[in-house]
Amino acid sequence: MSVSLEPALLSPALVDFPFREGYVRSIIYVSLYVSGIAVALSTLFSIPVAVVMGFTDFPGKQFVKSVINTGMGFPSVVVGLLVLFIVSNQGPLGSLELIFTKEAMIISQFVLATPPITAISLAAITGVSENVRDAARALGGTRLDVALVVIKEARYGIATAILAGFGRAISEVGSVLIVGGNITSASGISQTRTLTTAIQLEARQGQYDTAMVLGAVLLALVLTVNAVVVRFGDEGSVNQ
Amino acid sequence: MIRLSNVSQAYGEETVVEDVTLSVDPGEVVAVIGPSGVGKTTLLRILALFNRPTAGTVELDGQSVWSAGEDERLQLRRRVGTVFQEASLFDASVARNVEYGLRVRQPWENRLRDTLWSIVGSNGTPKAVKRSLDVVGLRDKLDQQARSLSGGEAQRVSFARALAYDPSYLLLDEPTSDLDPRNTDVIEEAVLEARDRGIGVVVATHDMHQAERIADRVGVLLGDGFTEIGPTETIFENPTDDRTQQFISGELVY
Repeated sequence: MSVSLEPALLSPALVDFPFREGYVRSIIYVSLYVSGIAVALSTLFSIPVAVVMGFTDFPGKQFVKSVINTGMGFPSVVVGLLVLFIVSNQGPLGSLELIFTKEAMIISQFVLATPPITAISLAAITGVSENVRDAARALGGTRLDVALVVIKEARYGIATAILAGFGRAISEVGSVLIVGGNITSASGISQTRTLTTAIQLEARQGQYDTAMVLGAVLLALVLTVNAVVVRFGDEGSVNQ
Repeated sequence: MIRLSNVSQAYGEETVVEDVTLSVDPGEVVAVIGPSGVGKTTLLRILALFNRPTAGTVELDGQSVWSAGEDERLQLRRRVGTVFQEASLFDASVARNVEYGLRVRQPWENRLRDTLWSIVGSNGTPKAVKRSLDVVGLRDKLDQQARSLSGGEAQRVSFARALAYDPSYLLLDEPTSDLDPRNTDVIEEAVLEARDRGIGVVVATHDMHQAERIADRVGVLLGDGFTEIGPTETIFENPTDDRTQQFISGELVY
């Protein structure tokens, strides 16, 4: 008997959905595409920077560090506004016509994700003992070999850094709203609408149950990415 | 032969090693003894071609080390194995640790292939790795994670790691200072075996008995260069220098 109750209980969430076909899938895609590429680019940029900062002393290093740490607290709307100025028609990158595109969203999320990824990676890299570096060098390693050893030793910290960056990127709403515009095509397929901007829109329209469902999807996505990365890290340590 | 001629090393105002002359031949064990803080580690780092001395010259097999280019120096450095006071193993399996010196000597395409294979499954352990783990009696720990080893085992793996790529010279910085007698025995045996294979060994130690057990020659470092350097027997039985005499007999306390 209880079985027959279930459709009735779930119906507000599943049956009455006003979503068009492919709509939810398209905003998930846009969210993952934008945040994934932004975090990948951030990682490619941040890790070499963290390695260089961890390995060398140069004048102004402390200043660069404080800039990065400040960057961790950048309000995303301010970043969005700055990127908007840069990519807008009168801005320096205006000719590229990036405004209200996924590429503009990638730029702003890159700016948001880079400080936490760099700062947390740097902490992990400086945490690797000097003795380990000496050992790699003594065994005949080149400078690049030593750097690779340090990255490998710091891999858990670096994985945490990437997760923190991804978490910041996929969950922020301010900058993607400003530079992306929360746009769908006429057929209702997302162009620059992400899960966060969709939730914001649904909530503003009073569609609280659809907003809740999208929120649950976002949460599930973040959990899945975390689980995969953590799992990947564990596997790595067993196979080495 | 590694040859240091009138080598000094200063950090700022402070001179740590002063005017040291020392040569190490293949197939001999030279012990450097002296109290803590007298510059033994710095001397070893100069021998390992890590530190550029502030004065004097370092030659390895007839080549002047610090007038050579960086690539050349890397090749020279690769003839030397160093075991530090702390094992400092990488966070990987014992086999991967011991293999490291071999791996960095491989061209990049081989290393890349090796890495890709290791994702699919094991691609076998090089013979040299097994052999050098045999020397320290830890071949059965091949697949174990380095962080699960005891301190003594870790130090033995660290020794095997430096031995695996068959260096011409081996430098040991207080290799047994934290070890129990059994692990100390294993390391000392391994040192003698390395010597018999023609490797020139330098051991920095504050343990005079160890020097007496394994060294062919002993240098006594008491602050400003060697007070005396010569055959082990002479140094312990018949030292000519007063301070050496006092140090050996335990009268010179630092």
